[in-house]
Amino acid sequence: MKERLLDSKIKAKIAKHLENIVGAEHVTTQETDTVLNAHDAWPLSEAKIRAGEMLPLADIVVFPGSTEEVSKVLKIANKNRVSVTPVGGGAGTCGGTLPIYGGMQLDLKRMDKVLDIDHKSMLVRVEAGMVGIDLEETVNRHGYTLGHTPTSMRASNVGGFLATRSGGSMSSLYGKIEDLTLGLEVVLADGLIVRTKAVPRHSVGPDLRELFIGSEGTLGVITEATLRLFPIPEERRFRSMAFADVHSGLEAIRLIFRADITPSVVRFYDPEDTAMAMSQHFDIEEGDSMLLLAFDGAAEKVDHEERVSVEICQENGGKDFGDGPSKRWWAHRYDMYYPTKFTTAGFSIGDTIDIVATYDKLENVYRAMKTAMEAHDAFVMSHFSHMYQNGGSIYMIFFTSQPDAETAWAAYKRIWDDGVAACLREGGTMSHQHGVGLSRSTYTEDELGSSFQVLKRIKKVLDSNGIMNPGKLGLGVQE
Amino acid sequence: MIYDEDTAQQIRMCAACPKMCRHVCPTFLAWRSESPTPHGRALLLHQEITGTRPLDERAIEVLYQCLECSHCLTWCLPEIDIADIVEIRRRQLVKEGRFPSGLNPMVDSIHTHHNPYKEPHEKRTDWLKIPTIDGRSLVYFIGCTAAYREKSIAQDTVSVLSSLGYQVYIPEDEWCCGSPLLRTGFVDGALEQARHNVEILNNMDAEEVVATCPGCYRVLTQDYPKHGLEINKPVRHIAELLQSHLKSLPEFELDGPVTFHDSCHLGRHSGVYEQPREVIERVSKGALVEMERNRDNAMCCGNGAGLRTLFPEHAKKIGAERVQQAEQTGAKYLVTSCPFCKNMLESQAKDRLIVLDLPELVKMAKKQSHVKTD
Repeated sequence: MKERLLDSKIKAKIAKHLENIVGAEHVTTQETDTVLNAHDAWPLSEAKIRAGEMLPLADIVVFPGSTEEVSKVLKIANKNRVSVTPVGGGAGTCGGTLPIYGGMQLDLKRMDKVLDIDHKSMLVRVEAGMVGIDLEETVNRHGYTLGHTPTSMRASNVGGFLATRSGGSMSSLYGKIEDLTLGLEVVLADGLIVRTKAVPRHSVGPDLRELFIGSEGTLGVITEATLRLFPIPEERRFRSMAFADVHSGLEAIRLIFRADITPSVVRFYDPEDTAMAMSQHFDIEEGDSMLLLAFDGAAEKVDHEERVSVEICQENGGKDFGDGPSKRWWAHRYDMYYPTKFTTAGFSIGDTIDIVATYDKLENVYRAMKTAMEAHDAFVMSHFSHMYQNGGSIYMIFFTSQPDAETAWAAYKRIWDDGVAACLREGGTMSHQHGVGLSRSTYTEDELGSSFQVLKRIKKVLDSNGIMNPGKLGLGVQE
Repeated sequence: MIYDEDTAQQIRMCAACPKMCRHVCPTFLAWRSESPTPHGRALLLHQEITGTRPLDERAIEVLYQCLECSHCLTWCLPEIDIADIVEIRRRQLVKEGRFPSGLNPMVDSIHTHHNPYKEPHEKRTDWLKIPTIDGRSLVYFIGCTAAYREKSIAQDTVSVLSSLGYQVYIPEDEWCCGSPLLRTGFVDGALEQARHNVEILNNMDAEEVVATCPGCYRVLTQDYPKHGLEINKPVRHIAELLQSHLKSLPEFELDGPVTFHDSCHLGRHSGVYEQPREVIERVSKGALVEMERNRDNAMCCGNGAGLRTLFPEHAKKIGAERVQQAEQTGAKYLVTSCPFCKNMLESQAKDRLIVLDLPELVKMAKKQSHVKTD
């Protein structure tokens, strides 16, 4: 491993080059700025901040204002073999934007404009640094929605959505960001600006757009995207059903999709998560699991979808709770993201392993992971969400509290190691929407198997000096 | 440690939050960086508390890149008021002599001239014409901005109050209320101004005090009492007073919709949201249209807590954004109830919107309704 931290002379020289490109006010080498810019939303980072530890710092933070400036900045970095960690909202939950080898953080927050709304094709062209909620509010004014509502909506940027292959709570109907993106603009490590054309489908070789979605800054910097828009639905209707066990609830979900019904929201809380999230507000039998559904669209379509879903749920033992629990979740869907006295006390740490699997494996993955994680004295609660025709995701949420930092970080790692191992053993995939970053980096090769070699070779060709976000996505560092 | 245990715990929580309020932080908008953000400020303070890292010069600058608008508090489930926390640290920084030198001219001016604008004290109110009428006595605390920069607000306020039957009195020797000093940490200097103001106000024979500036209003009603300085008569903001005379206010047809900008001091810091709206609805015959961000979710104009003094270009950027938000409503008039906000918003609106303070709107209605009657 090569040490990347820059000595003061090189740092000053590179900072000067960067100032010439973006202007002096958009480059900083001040330690305070690097400390604040390191801050992300990885629960381990947050726990370390609370414990008074420092996160890894960049030597320089640069804020380009255009794709051309990004290109020039990368040319300088590539020539001088300086690590580049792209950062958007700094809201990632896996440590993907932590500059673990110092160098440069390339911050896209100034690139925050909507460039065009194509009403005829229902598309929006937007710069990568725009905050999700700002984009949603902008398109709402024109009668559209992105259909992309991750919990981090207020903090994460378009570039971060794409870099991590993010998903929103309504991905069952609208899709994940890869389904919502038609065109991309990416700048490669050597400064080459690459554009993939925004078309609904094509048959001109492999889809290169997909290569960069989820690349987490390791293959280039995403600077712009063309995203799909949907008319704001005429109606969003909620329904909730409680099941006596996880198995029957999962069966109901599978059969709803099989009946060609696509709810916008499907969230199925296991008994622990139901108790934690809902039992204070609704009279739910102990040990029951709650299914939350929402249906979007014209009234007639919603009527049909709701009626069929309710029938299927009841045939599988579902007890009707009306719209209460679902509506309450919708109104409070961002609340769980806030710190509380309980979750931040002492050396507490929690996290979510958001896995995905097909229906034939989903329940086994859930039970195996739960057993493996609970073996480390962790409290584990889960919900199945982001469900599709062929399977879906599980949010394996864990929480542990330890007497000191060292013990807490070690416990955290053991829960992750054994949780992911159980997932892979049972045929699941280790992330549905959060990405890899640092938290999953060491598992990437096991997850991808032989296809990992493809990723490594692509990395070698596109970033021959290994400057792009080293240490992430299992791709190591420059040799 | 300058913070109590509860506050230190709040700082700790805010420092490691996944940025749930950053999207409404005006200074995040102005700088587009993680530094001037609520969680950024908290992180610096948390690291200082834990001994991880002391505040350096840049960190102090970041703590002064805060408008203390408390917009973040509206979006904070654990209800952490970073504005209050920042102000506590600013007070200490001033004691330590580690505040930005860019504040010195403002501090000196208030000490010497009793206003932050370096204007001669003797000219504070000598231009103001006060009608003599046989009515209820009221003291109008003008405030520095209406006295020197937004004179039409002061003159229209006097005119409107007189027409409502008040005999208006102006303190002969009113000093700066101290708000700019308090918000930037200069408590001793502020209290010097405050003690003087309380003394002259308490010696005046009147039934109540009214202020047009929400900064003054907040200081007179909240900060003075916190420091043991009590004004011996009720203090109201002009919006509250006008609302109490709703049926006596003139009405007129405006040639376009009106939108209202909530001042942070009046809204989030004093809870006065509905009174100015009721006044606008009355005088404009229901022409009020709301901005998307209104009431406790209203964006700051960019002028507060020393930001305009230290970082004028960034303050203007915030003001320009607020004007754009007003334009999105399709309004022709942007009304606020704060001379300081009006000053900023008008400078950024240029000729795209007509920007008025509340008493100016009422005066306009009075004029128009007279024209029609005549």
